[in-house]
Amino acid sequence: MVKALVACRAGVGSSLMLKIKLNEVISEHDLPVQVEHSSLDGLPSFDGPIVIALSDVAEELQEQGIDKVIVGIKNILDKNEIYAKLSDALKQVQA
Amino acid sequence: MIEKIIKENLIKLHVKSHDWKEAIKLSAQPLVDNKIVTPNYVNEIINSVNEYGPYFVIAPHVALAHAPGEAGAKELAMGISVLEPAIEFNNTNNDPVSYVFTLSAPDSNSHLKAMQELVYLLTDDNFYQILSNSQKPSEILQYINDSVVKQKIGK
Repeated sequence: MVKALVACRAGVGSSLMLKIKLNEVISEHDLPVQVEHSSLDGLPSFDGPIVIALSDVAEELQEQGIDKVIVGIKNILDKNEIYAKLSDALKQVQA
Repeated sequence: MIEKIIKENLIKLHVKSHDWKEAIKLSAQPLVDNKIVTPNYVNEIINSVNEYGPYFVIAPHVALAHAPGEAGAKELAMGISVLEPAIEFNNTNNDPVSYVFTLSAPDSNSHLKAMQELVYLLTDDNFYQILSNSQKPSEILQYINDSVVKQKIGK
């Protein structure tokens, strides 16, 4: 299992909704990913390779140069977008 | 669950604002009036947009306005505001915003069920029609109730 962290500023709203949608995609496509969610404060203690956030937060994280595969989601209801980006991230991690 | 945290007096229709800040303030006002969130909570929502960008515009035309619980979320509740006209939140992917859901969540887990139901509602095209065309908050609440019952039967 590959660990992925869904992070948002507060850890109670958008990250939770994104996690719900991610889990739908993961079970539909049987992806080897285990998702946790937290606020951005949870990031330093997260030991997995993938961080998923809404695109604004993802850009911010990218600028900070965090050593993770960072996935930015624009529309949390769009399962195609989530699937495409998550599979990409998985390929990078497994390469 | 979600039908219990969205109260009729937290739903505002035909909300007119000039910019995203005003839209957030007007959407959160019923929660402040009902002492569900503190005024500081509303300021914190606006501050986080200034700091991180409009990250809570989660899908086309939909904003989930929220801040960390410790900023002043006193009880679990959600308000709905329908903006007329729709307002630019500077989120290029999902602008303009017509529907603002203001979430007050004191902790990070007790509302999981409600959020699942909200995700379900937001993937239902009829829900947006109801939001835009309802004349009374009770019509929206009725639709949400029916939807939750349908989800339960579906499972």
